Amino acid sequence: MDLAIRAVALFGFVYLLTRIIGRRELSSMEPFDLILLIVIGDAIQQGLTQDDYSVTGAVIVIGTFAVLQILVSYLSYRFPRLRPALDGEPIVVVQDGQAIEKNMKRERITLGEVMVEARLQQVSQLDDIAWAVLETSGKISIIPKQ
Amino acid sequence: MAAIPDGIVLKRHRDLEGRRNHAWVRRTLIVLVGLVPLLALFNLFGQRPHLANAQSAKADLELYAPGHLRGGLLWEARFTITAHRDLKDARLELDKGWLEGMTANTIEPSPVGEGSHDGKLVLDLGHVPVGQRYILFMQFQVNPTNVGRRPQNVRLYDGDTFLTTMHRRVTIFP
Repeated sequence: MDLAIRAVALFGFVYLLTRIIGRRELSSMEPFDLILLIVIGDAIQQGLTQDDYSVTGAVIVIGTFAVLQILVSYLSYRFPRLRPALDGEPIVVVQDGQAIEKNMKRERITLGEVMVEARLQQVSQLDDIAWAVLETSGKISIIPKQ
Repeated sequence: MAAIPDGIVLKRHRDLEGRRNHAWVRRTLIVLVGLVPLLALFNLFGQRPHLANAQSAKADLELYAPGHLRGGLLWEARFTITAHRDLKDARLELDKGWLEGMTANTIEPSPVGEGSHDGKLVLDLGHVPVGQRYILFMQFQVNPTNVGRRPQNVRLYDGDTFLTTMHRRVTIFP
């Protein structure tokens, strides 16, 4: 039973972390982020299963995580009011070639990062951007001017 | 102005109406998360040991052990008995919190005898001559399912004569 309780507690903690860390940090995967991901995974595993090496233990933990993940996505689908808290909301960071500084500051995004995303989507000038939207996934959508 | 993308509501997603408090909620949560390792630096979650003493005319008892532990940790308790008078048959009586949900890895030196008194573990340490110190090492591991606060009182006897007691509790974090 305590395995399931530990899984619920750690799922909640990791979910909270992913919501508060900031979406840009989550979407980028620099070499240091990769190392951090492995270290976090290892720390979570040790806290979760501790000295339990059984298949039953692994099934309990994975099952609990799966159920919680489905529950979160169901709550997000069924109750739109919960969606901002569970998934976050998009934020407009550029409109009509003008950077919206307060929104970028809030999400700790530089204009350079926006332009990197723009170039990846074949847009070379800030003036050519109609909309740049920081999505809930942490990616920046660039909509060029027509 | 270019057409607004579907799903984007300017008041909500550009002007952040109704979302101004979100940043503060996030900052508060970040502070709370950061508070945990800060409190850990101050030994709130163990396992730094500390000294506790209990005196009597015949002998002093000193215990060096952590008061906060976490599941799975290896830890040590060191009992020091200083005899002011000859102790013919020193005995330590330990509350069941010492062993409940703990794995006792070793007790050194091995007691002369062990027993139970009213549900408590009794370790018979034998003779401690006047002016000498007797040091007992006990090493444990916390079982992962052991969580909460448990009494770990210690009583020192000489035979059946009560000498002194030490009150303590251990807090075990999951």
